[in-house]
Amino acid sequence: MSAAVQDLRMTAVRVREETEESAAAPRREDELLAKRALAGERAAWDALIARHDRRVMVSLLAKGVRADRARELVQETWARLIQQQQRGLLTELRLPNLALTQAAFLAADDARRTRRESLSGSVEELAERQHPVDPAASAEKRLLSEEQLSRAHEALAQMSPSARNVFLLACDGQELPHAEVAVRVGLSTQRVRQILCEVRKRLRAALEEETHA
Amino acid sequence: MLKAHLTRDDAEQYILGALAPEKAAALEAHTVECEPCARLLQEEALLEEQAHEVAATFAPREHRVLRPAAWGGRRVAAGAMSALLAAAASLALVVHRGGTPPPTSLPPSAHASAGPVVEFDEGAEVPQVVMVACPDLATEAECTQSAVARGLLVLSPGGVAEVPRYEGHSGFPAGALPSGPASL
Repeated sequence: MSAAVQDLRMTAVRVREETEESAAAPRREDELLAKRALAGERAAWDALIARHDRRVMVSLLAKGVRADRARELVQETWARLIQQQQRGLLTELRLPNLALTQAAFLAADDARRTRRESLSGSVEELAERQHPVDPAASAEKRLLSEEQLSRAHEALAQMSPSARNVFLLACDGQELPHAEVAVRVGLSTQRVRQILCEVRKRLRAALEEETHA
Repeated sequence: MLKAHLTRDDAEQYILGALAPEKAAALEAHTVECEPCARLLQEEALLEEQAHEVAATFAPREHRVLRPAAWGGRRVAAGAMSALLAAAASLALVVHRGGTPPPTSLPPSAHASAGPVVEFDEGAEVPQVVMVACPDLATEAECTQSAVARGLLVLSPGGVAEVPRYEGHSGFPAGALPSGPASL
Protein backbone atom coordinates (compact mmCIF):
# COMPACT_ATOMS: atom_id res chain seq x y z
CA MET A 1 0.00 0.00 0.00
CA SER A 2 1.34 3.39 -0.90
CA ALA A 3 2.15 6.09 1.60
CA ALA A 4 -0.78 8.25 0.46
CA VAL A 5 -3.28 5.52 1.14
CA GLN A 6 -1.74 4.77 4.49
CA ASP A 7 -2.22 8.38 5.45
CA LEU A 8 -5.78 8.34 4.31
CA ARG A 9 -6.66 5.41 6.41
CA MET A 10 -5.17 7.12 9.43
CA THR A 11 -7.25 10.20 8.69
CA ALA A 12 -10.32 8.06 8.50
CA VAL A 13 -9.71 6.53 11.87
CA ARG A 14 -8.90 9.85 13.45
CA VAL A 15 -12.06 11.52 12.12
CA ARG A 16 -14.19 8.71 13.41
CA GLU A 17 -12.62 8.81 16.86
CA GLU A 18 -13.14 12.54 17.15
CA THR A 19 -16.83 12.45 16.31
CA GLU A 20 -17.48 9.52 18.58
CA GLU A 21 -15.62 11.11 21.41
CA SER A 22 -17.40 14.43 21.22
CA ALA A 23 -20.82 12.82 21.05
CA ALA A 24 -20.42 9.99 23.49
CA ALA A 25 -18.46 11.50 26.35
CA PRO A 26 -21.12 13.89 27.68
CA ARG A 27 -23.82 11.25 27.29
CA ARG A 28 -21.79 8.86 29.37
CA GLU A 29 -21.30 11.59 31.92
CA ASP A 30 -25.05 12.23 32.00
CA GLU A 31 -25.83 8.58 32.44
CA LEU A 32 -23.39 8.41 35.31
CA LEU A 33 -24.98 11.44 36.92
CA ALA A 34 -28.46 9.96 36.54
CA LYS A 35 -27.27 6.71 38.05
CA ARG A 36 -25.80 8.50 41.04
CA ALA A 37 -29.02 10.47 41.49
CA LEU A 38 -31.02 7.27 41.35
CA ALA A 39 -28.79 5.94 44.10
CA GLY A 40 -29.87 8.93 46.17
CA GLU A 41 -26.76 11.06 45.98
CA ARG A 42 -27.68 14.62 46.81
CA ALA A 43 -24.83 16.23 44.88
CA ALA A 44 -25.90 14.43 41.71
CA TRP A 45 -29.45 15.73 42.12
CA ASP A 46 -28.12 19.24 42.62
CA ALA A 47 -26.10 19.00 39.43
CA LEU A 48 -29.08 17.70 37.47
CA ILE A 49 -31.38 20.36 38.87
CA ALA A 50 -28.90 23.10 38.08
CA ARG A 51 -28.72 21.86 34.52
CA HIS A 52 -32.40 21.30 33.78
CA ASP A 53 -34.10 23.87 35.99
CA ARG A 54 -34.24 26.58 33.36
CA ARG A 55 -35.78 24.32 30.74
CA VAL A 56 -38.54 23.22 33.11
CA MET A 57 -39.25 26.83 34.03
CA VAL A 58 -39.38 27.88 30.38
CA SER A 59 -41.76 25.04 29.55
CA LEU A 60 -44.18 26.30 32.20
CA LEU A 61 -43.86 29.91 31.08
CA ALA A 62 -44.60 28.80 27.55
CA LYS A 63 -47.84 27.31 28.81
CA GLY A 64 -48.81 30.69 30.16
CA VAL A 65 -48.22 29.93 33.83
CA ARG A 66 -47.45 33.06 35.80
CA ALA A 67 -43.76 33.44 36.64
CA ASP A 68 -44.16 33.24 40.40
CA ARG A 69 -46.41 30.19 40.20
CA ALA A 70 -44.10 28.62 37.63
CA ARG A 71 -41.18 29.02 40.01
CA GLU A 72 -43.14 27.22 42.72
CA LEU A 73 -44.16 24.44 40.39
CA VAL A 74 -40.57 23.92 39.28
CA GLN A 75 -39.55 23.53 42.93
CA GLU A 76 -42.35 21.10 43.49
CA THR A 77 -41.42 19.16 40.39
CA TRP A 78 -37.95 18.46 41.71
CA ALA A 79 -39.26 17.75 45.21
CA ARG A 80 -41.64 15.15 43.80
CA LEU A 81 -38.99 13.50 41.69
CA ILE A 82 -36.63 13.23 44.64
CA GLN A 83 -39.48 11.90 46.75
CA GLN A 84 -40.26 9.26 44.16
CA GLN A 85 -36.63 8.28 44.02
CA GLN A 86 -36.46 7.94 47.79
CA ARG A 87 -39.48 5.69 47.77
CA GLY A 88 -37.81 3.58 45.13
CA LEU A 89 -40.43 4.41 42.50
CA LEU A 90 -37.97 5.65 39.93
CA THR A 91 -36.27 2.98 37.91
CA GLU A 92 -34.69 5.30 35.40
CA LEU A 93 -34.12 9.00 35.20
CA ARG A 94 -34.49 10.51 31.78
CA LEU A 95 -34.03 14.21 32.04
CA PRO A 96 -35.28 16.69 31.12
CA ASN A 97 -38.27 14.71 29.81
CA LEU A 98 -39.28 13.25 33.13
CA ALA A 99 -39.15 16.66 34.81
CA LEU A 100 -41.05 18.29 31.95
CA THR A 101 -43.80 15.70 32.19
CA GLN A 102 -43.98 16.05 35.93
CA ALA A 103 -44.14 19.84 35.67
CA ALA A 104 -46.86 19.69 33.01
CA PHE A 105 -48.84 17.35 35.23
CA LEU A 106 -48.49 19.65 38.21
CA ALA A 107 -49.51 22.66 36.12
CA ALA A 108 -52.60 20.85 34.85
CA ASP A 109 -53.45 19.77 38.35
CA ASP A 110 -52.97 23.31 39.59
CA ALA A 111 -55.22 24.68 36.88
CA ARG A 112 -57.96 22.19 37.71
CA ARG A 113 -57.79 23.02 41.39
CA THR A 114 -57.94 26.75 40.76
CA ARG A 115 -60.93 26.27 38.53
CA ARG A 116 -62.71 24.17 41.13
CA GLU A 117 -62.06 26.69 43.83
CA SER A 118 -63.23 29.54 41.68
CA LEU A 119 -66.54 27.82 41.04
CA SER A 120 -67.84 29.10 44.34
CA GLY A 121 -66.59 32.61 43.66
CA SER A 122 -66.81 34.29 40.30
CA VAL A 123 -64.15 33.70 37.68
CA GLU A 124 -64.89 37.07 36.19
CA GLU A 125 -63.38 38.76 39.19
CA LEU A 126 -59.96 37.49 38.28
CA ALA A 127 -57.87 39.42 35.86
CA GLU A 128 -57.68 37.69 32.54
CA ARG A 129 -54.19 36.35 33.03
CA GLN A 130 -55.02 34.81 36.36
CA HIS A 131 -57.54 32.59 34.74
CA PRO A 132 -56.37 29.07 35.18
CA VAL A 133 -54.58 27.75 32.17
CA ASP A 134 -55.10 24.16 31.29
CA PRO A 135 -51.85 23.08 29.65
CA ALA A 136 -53.55 20.07 28.11
CA ALA A 137 -55.87 22.39 26.21
CA SER A 138 -53.10 24.55 24.84
CA ALA A 139 -50.79 21.64 24.10
CA GLU A 140 -52.31 21.09 20.70
CA LYS A 141 -51.80 24.68 19.70
CA ARG A 142 -48.23 24.57 20.85
CA LEU A 143 -47.22 21.72 18.62
CA LEU A 144 -45.70 22.85 15.40
CA SER A 145 -47.41 21.82 12.22
CA GLU A 146 -45.56 19.69 9.74
CA GLU A 147 -45.38 22.66 7.45
CA GLN A 148 -43.87 24.87 10.11
CA LEU A 149 -41.39 22.19 11.02
CA SER A 150 -40.21 21.71 7.49
CA ARG A 151 -39.95 25.46 7.04
CA ALA A 152 -37.88 25.68 10.20
CA HIS A 153 -35.68 22.81 9.06
CA GLU A 154 -35.17 24.54 5.77
CA ALA A 155 -34.15 27.73 7.54
CA LEU A 156 -31.82 25.73 9.70
CA ALA A 157 -30.28 24.01 6.71
CA GLN A 158 -29.54 27.38 5.14
CA MET A 159 -27.62 28.64 8.13
CA SER A 160 -23.89 28.39 8.37
CA PRO A 161 -22.71 25.00 9.60
CA SER A 162 -21.14 26.52 12.69
CA ALA A 163 -24.33 28.37 13.67
CA ARG A 164 -26.31 25.20 13.10
CA ASN A 165 -23.88 23.24 15.16
CA VAL A 166 -24.13 25.69 18.05
CA PHE A 167 -27.92 25.60 17.89
CA LEU A 168 -28.13 21.83 17.81
CA LEU A 169 -25.66 21.48 20.66
CA ALA A 170 -27.57 23.97 22.81
CA CYS A 171 -31.04 22.65 22.03
CA ASP A 172 -30.57 18.92 21.64
CA GLY A 173 -32.26 18.12 24.93
CA GLN A 174 -29.08 17.52 26.88
CA GLU A 175 -29.26 21.09 28.13
CA LEU A 176 -25.58 21.73 27.79
CA PRO A 177 -24.69 25.01 29.49
CA HIS A 178 -23.75 27.67 26.99
CA ALA A 179 -20.28 27.84 28.46
CA GLU A 180 -19.79 24.20 27.60
CA VAL A 181 -21.15 24.64 24.11
CA ALA A 182 -18.67 27.48 23.74
CA VAL A 183 -15.78 25.26 24.76
CA ARG A 184 -16.81 22.55 22.32
CA VAL A 185 -17.06 24.82 19.33
CA GLY A 186 -14.15 27.03 20.33
CA LEU A 187 -16.08 30.28 20.67
CA SER A 188 -16.79 32.59 23.58
CA THR A 189 -19.97 32.15 25.62
CA GLN A 190 -20.99 35.62 24.51
CA ARG A 191 -20.63 34.65 20.87
CA VAL A 192 -22.59 31.44 21.40
CA ARG A 193 -25.50 33.46 22.82
CA GLN A 194 -25.31 35.91 19.94
CA ILE A 195 -25.52 33.01 17.54
CA LEU A 196 -28.46 31.53 19.42
CA CYS A 197 -30.28 34.85 19.29
CA GLU A 198 -29.65 35.02 15.58
CA VAL A 199 -30.91 31.48 15.05
CA ARG A 200 -34.00 32.21 17.12
CA LYS A 201 -34.69 35.24 15.00
CA ARG A 202 -34.57 33.18 11.83
CA LEU A 203 -36.66 30.41 13.32
CA ARG A 204 -39.23 32.94 14.45
CA ALA A 205 -39.44 34.31 10.94
CA ALA A 206 -39.73 30.81 9.49
CA LEU A 207 -42.42 29.78 11.94
CA GLU A 208 -44.46 32.94 11.59
CA GLU A 209 -44.47 32.84 7.82
CA GLU A 210 -47.41 30.49 7.85
CA THR A 211 -49.60 32.62 10.07
CA HIS A 212 -49.30 35.56 7.72
CA ALA A 213 -49.87 33.56 4.60
CA MET B 1 -45.42 49.91 37.75
CA LEU B 2 -42.09 50.10 39.46
CA LYS B 3 -39.73 48.64 36.92
CA ALA B 4 -39.29 49.40 33.27
CA HIS B 5 -41.08 47.17 30.80
CA LEU B 6 -39.35 44.27 29.18
CA THR B 7 -37.82 44.50 25.77
CA ARG B 8 -37.81 41.45 23.55
CA ASP B 9 -34.09 41.35 24.04
CA ASP B 10 -34.50 41.17 27.84
CA ALA B 11 -36.99 38.36 27.54
CA GLU B 12 -34.69 36.50 25.18
CA GLN B 13 -31.71 36.88 27.49
CA TYR B 14 -33.83 35.63 30.36
CA ILE B 15 -34.97 32.59 28.43
CA LEU B 16 -31.40 31.83 27.40
CA GLY B 17 -30.34 32.07 31.03
CA ALA B 18 -27.95 34.91 30.33
CA LEU B 19 -29.25 37.27 33.01
CA ALA B 20 -27.74 37.61 36.47
CA PRO B 21 -29.92 35.93 39.12
CA GLU B 22 -31.12 39.19 40.67
CA LYS B 23 -31.99 40.64 37.28
CA ALA B 24 -33.86 37.47 36.37
CA ALA B 25 -35.79 37.62 39.64
CA ALA B 26 -36.69 41.26 39.04
CA LEU B 27 -37.88 40.39 35.54
CA GLU B 28 -40.04 37.55 36.85
CA ALA B 29 -41.51 39.84 39.49
CA HIS B 30 -42.32 42.44 36.87
CA THR B 31 -44.16 39.98 34.63
CA VAL B 32 -46.39 39.02 37.54
CA GLU B 33 -47.67 42.58 37.65
CA CYS B 34 -47.51 43.54 34.02
CA GLU B 35 -49.59 41.64 31.54
CA PRO B 36 -48.04 42.77 28.23
CA CYS B 37 -44.59 41.87 29.54
CA ALA B 38 -45.84 38.49 30.71
CA ARG B 39 -47.20 37.86 27.27
CA LEU B 40 -43.90 38.83 25.72
CA LEU B 41 -42.11 36.43 28.03
CA GLN B 42 -44.54 33.69 27.16
CA GLU B 43 -43.93 34.26 23.47
CA GLU B 44 -40.20 33.92 23.95
CA ALA B 45 -40.65 30.83 26.10
CA LEU B 46 -42.87 29.32 23.46
CA LEU B 47 -40.29 30.00 20.80
CA GLU B 48 -37.68 28.28 22.94
CA GLU B 49 -39.89 25.22 23.27
CA GLN B 50 -40.49 25.23 19.53
CA ALA B 51 -36.77 25.56 18.92
CA HIS B 52 -36.23 22.41 20.96
CA GLU B 53 -38.80 20.64 18.88
CA VAL B 54 -37.12 21.81 15.71
CA ALA B 55 -33.72 20.68 16.97
CA ALA B 56 -35.06 17.32 18.07
CA THR B 57 -36.57 16.60 14.67
CA PHE B 58 -33.76 18.02 12.56
CA ALA B 59 -31.74 15.40 10.78
CA PRO B 60 -28.77 16.55 8.77
CA ARG B 61 -29.05 15.76 5.11
CA GLU B 62 -27.88 12.27 4.43
CA HIS B 63 -24.66 11.90 2.55
CA ARG B 64 -25.17 10.05 -0.64
CA VAL B 65 -23.08 6.96 -0.81
CA LEU B 66 -22.18 5.22 -3.99
CA ARG B 67 -21.86 1.53 -3.58
CA PRO B 68 -20.42 -0.46 -6.42
CA ALA B 69 -22.73 -3.42 -6.91
CA ALA B 70 -20.40 -6.27 -7.65
CA TRP B 71 -17.03 -4.88 -6.90
CA GLY B 72 -14.29 -7.40 -6.49
CA GLY B 73 -16.65 -10.20 -7.45
CA ARG B 74 -14.51 -11.46 -10.22
CA ARG B 75 -10.84 -12.09 -10.25
CA VAL B 76 -8.87 -12.05 -13.47
CA ALA B 77 -5.32 -12.73 -14.46
CA ALA B 78 -2.75 -10.56 -12.72
CA GLY B 79 -1.94 -8.58 -15.87
CA ALA B 80 -5.51 -7.51 -16.57
CA MET B 81 -6.32 -7.03 -12.95
CA SER B 82 -4.99 -3.53 -12.39
CA ALA B 83 -6.61 -2.26 -15.61
CA LEU B 84 -9.93 -3.72 -14.57
CA LEU B 85 -9.71 -2.21 -11.13
CA ALA B 86 -8.82 1.20 -12.50
CA ALA B 87 -11.82 0.99 -14.80
CA ALA B 88 -14.02 -0.19 -11.98
CA ALA B 89 -12.88 2.67 -9.81
CA SER B 90 -13.59 5.30 -12.40
CA LEU B 91 -16.98 3.77 -13.14
CA ALA B 92 -17.83 3.80 -9.50
CA LEU B 93 -16.77 7.37 -9.12
CA VAL B 94 -18.89 8.85 -11.83
CA VAL B 95 -20.79 11.41 -9.90
CA HIS B 96 -23.51 13.88 -10.67
CA ARG B 97 -22.86 17.16 -9.00
CA GLY B 98 -25.42 19.95 -9.14
CA GLY B 99 -26.60 19.11 -12.61
CA THR B 100 -23.19 19.37 -14.24
CA PRO B 101 -22.36 16.57 -16.61
CA PRO B 102 -20.51 13.73 -14.94
CA PRO B 103 -16.74 13.75 -15.33
CA THR B 104 -16.41 11.10 -17.94
CA SER B 105 -12.79 10.19 -17.63
CA LEU B 106 -13.17 6.58 -18.50
CA PRO B 107 -10.08 4.96 -19.89
CA PRO B 108 -10.61 3.18 -23.20
CA SER B 109 -10.35 -0.19 -21.52
CA ALA B 110 -13.41 0.55 -19.44
CA HIS B 111 -15.74 -0.02 -22.34
CA ALA B 112 -14.26 -3.38 -23.11
CA SER B 113 -14.32 -4.79 -19.60
CA ALA B 114 -17.62 -5.74 -18.04
CA GLY B 115 -17.08 -3.60 -14.97
CA PRO B 116 -19.40 -3.46 -12.02
CA VAL B 117 -22.57 -1.49 -12.43
CA VAL B 118 -23.34 1.56 -10.39
CA GLU B 119 -26.95 2.60 -10.37
CA PHE B 120 -28.00 6.20 -10.19
CA ASP B 121 -31.46 7.37 -9.37
CA GLU B 122 -31.56 10.36 -11.66
CA GLY B 123 -34.57 11.98 -10.11
CA ALA B 124 -33.07 12.05 -6.65
CA GLU B 125 -32.22 15.29 -4.93
CA VAL B 126 -28.66 16.39 -5.55
CA PRO B 127 -26.73 15.70 -2.37
CA GLN B 128 -24.36 18.17 -0.80
CA VAL B 129 -21.64 15.65 -0.27
CA VAL B 130 -20.95 12.63 -2.34
CA MET B 131 -19.27 9.78 -0.64
CA VAL B 132 -17.69 6.77 -2.14
CA ALA B 133 -18.04 3.51 -0.34
CA CYS B 134 -15.01 1.33 -0.66
CA PRO B 135 -16.50 -2.10 -0.35
CA ASP B 136 -13.71 -4.22 1.01
CA LEU B 137 -10.10 -4.23 1.98
CA ALA B 138 -8.96 -5.88 -1.22
CA THR B 139 -10.08 -3.02 -3.45
CA GLU B 140 -9.84 -0.23 -0.93
CA ALA B 141 -6.45 1.01 -2.06
CA GLU B 142 -7.54 1.55 -5.66
CA CYS B 143 -10.84 3.03 -4.62
CA THR B 144 -9.18 5.45 -2.27
CA GLN B 145 -6.61 6.49 -4.83
CA SER B 146 -9.28 7.21 -7.39
CA ALA B 147 -11.08 9.28 -4.84
CA VAL B 148 -7.89 11.21 -4.11
CA ALA B 149 -7.75 12.28 -7.72
CA ARG B 150 -11.30 13.63 -7.53
CA GLY B 151 -11.31 15.04 -4.03
CA LEU B 152 -14.26 12.95 -2.94
CA LEU B 153 -15.15 11.59 0.44
CA VAL B 154 -14.27 8.02 1.10
CA LEU B 155 -16.32 5.65 3.17
CA SER B 156 -13.99 2.83 4.01
CA PRO B 157 -14.28 0.04 6.54
CA GLY B 158 -12.11 2.23 8.75
CA GLY B 159 -14.59 5.10 8.77
CA VAL B 160 -15.38 8.25 6.86
CA ALA B 161 -12.74 10.67 5.84
CA GLU B 162 -12.38 13.68 3.68
CA VAL B 163 -9.65 13.12 1.24
CA PRO B 164 -6.86 15.52 2.11
CA ARG B 165 -6.28 17.72 -0.90
CA TYR B 166 -2.64 18.31 -0.13
CA GLU B 167 -1.80 14.75 -0.98
CA GLY B 168 0.03 14.79 -4.26
CA HIS B 169 -1.43 12.69 -6.97
CA SER B 170 0.45 11.87 -10.08
CA GLY B 171 -2.62 11.30 -12.22
CA PHE B 172 -1.24 7.96 -13.31
CA PRO B 173 -3.49 4.98 -12.76
CA ALA B 174 -2.61 2.73 -9.88
CA GLY B 175 0.18 0.40 -10.70
CA ALA B 176 1.54 2.52 -13.54
CA LEU B 177 4.51 3.49 -11.44
CA PRO B 178 6.93 0.90 -10.21
CA SER B 179 6.61 2.01 -6.60
CA GLY B 180 5.10 4.59 -4.29
CA PRO B 181 5.55 8.37 -4.40
CA ALA B 182 8.51 8.14 -2.02
CA SER B 183 10.70 6.84 -4.81
CA LEU B 184 9.91 9.62 -7.26
